[in-house]
Amino acid sequence: MANIAIQRIKREFKEVIKSDEAQKCAINVELVGDDYRELRGEIAGPPDTPYEGATFQLEIKVPETYPFNPPKVKFVTKIWHPNISSVTGAICLDILKDQWAAAMTLRTVLLSLQALLAAAEPDDPQDAVVAKQFKENHPLFLETAQYWSHVHAGVPKGNSEFSKKVRRLMDMGVGEHQALVALSSCNWDMDRAIEQLFS
Amino acid sequence: MENNINDDNAPKTCEYDPNVNQDELIKAQEKQIAEEIKANTAMVGSLDGLSSLEEEYSNDPVYSSKVKTLLPKFSNVRRTRPDGNCFLRGFIFAYLEYCIHHRDELVRFKKYLESSKEELFEIGFPKFTTEDFHDMFMEVVSDLEGSGSIDRVEAVCNDAGTSDYLVVYLRLLISAHLQKNAEFFSFFIEGGRTVEEFCKQEVEPMYRECDHLHIVALTAAVGVGVRVMYLDRGEGDALVSHDFPEDKEPIIHLLYRPGHYDILYKA
Repeated sequence: MANIAIQRIKREFKEVIKSDEAQKCAINVELVGDDYRELRGEIAGPPDTPYEGATFQLEIKVPETYPFNPPKVKFVTKIWHPNISSVTGAICLDILKDQWAAAMTLRTVLLSLQALLAAAEPDDPQDAVVAKQFKENHPLFLETAQYWSHVHAGVPKGNSEFSKKVRRLMDMGVGEHQALVALSSCNWDMDRAIEQLFS
Repeated sequence: MENNINDDNAPKTCEYDPNVNQDELIKAQEKQIAEEIKANTAMVGSLDGLSSLEEEYSNDPVYSSKVKTLLPKFSNVRRTRPDGNCFLRGFIFAYLEYCIHHRDELVRFKKYLESSKEELFEIGFPKFTTEDFHDMFMEVVSDLEGSGSIDRVEAVCNDAGTSDYLVVYLRLLISAHLQKNAEFFSFFIEGGRTVEEFCKQEVEPMYRECDHLHIVALTAAVGVGVRVMYLDRGEGDALVSHDFPEDKEPIIHLLYRPGHYDILYKA
């Protein structure tokens, strides 16, 4: 890795760790290995969103050409959000693509992702199924996103009706996450989820 | 043509495969092209005679007759890497080269650079990184004050890290100037965007080409006159030229060909 990239990322790493947001446990970053090529980021779900109380892990890969090209970031923790793929964790965010500027830092990235959780852009979706639900059945989207936070991101409580439906599918031999995906994308309609899973 | 349809050996690269992510393919190809350009052209090349331009267009009557009109006025050309930063790299190189021969200008530029940092903070650029780019530029200028030679300018402008940092700093200066004069510049921005949005999309990201607005803003901010000679398929033999800012005697000359800028040297 180019020297300039390593120097920059080392300093940015410290900037995140020492930041006010890190003190409040809102963002964090850790090393993966010892060469600063790959980092593990962490953001807390913002208050007054279905992600409140959740903690999301992020995979951050630093390219050779950093900071002139953006870091490659994706969600490791599964999340239900219009701009993040519920399958791969890929993110649709302008600053991680064509609007990256060399003056931005890891801290900017983590805070921007946190802001994205609070303000989705369903018209520029990464996950079309989630975006459709977001626009057409917003209350159900909020419930579903909250339930994903419960199942995958450490939030203690989740919708008990949803739990029952997931359990029923699991009794039919479906894996927990598979059941969750099928039910979420079928607006929690049991019959449609079964059809999708078994047809 | 008809034979090809049933020819099993014909390449099938154009067939649409729904299992392949087309966006990813396009991105990969763009990346490959960018890497080829990077491997094959210096960020700022060596000093070539203007005859090398003539040779480039020996089969093109429109361009070659236009290049001929450049000959009495200009003697040399220095090519820059076509990576979207060509205007800025050309500007930096030509200006630093001018400065090593005009010490008073170097002193003035250093003063301007010093004061520019605070301006960038006021606009809201992060201290942490802006300072990095600024310090790098100051270091380069101080170094040229001591040992100012064309070899140093060539070395600085072709060292990837340094050269790119200088480019980034100019991008920030352009963005700051546009945002400070947003009321005026808003009339020239297309697509219903605000000046701030324009800066975020078209100025601050690396590898984004410089257009009229960028050049107007940079030359006004730094206070340096640039003359651009436009070599295109427009009517007439003579090249159209434009001075930025209009009322300033140009000290830098650039050759524009659609999508690209190189440095010109006066005869």
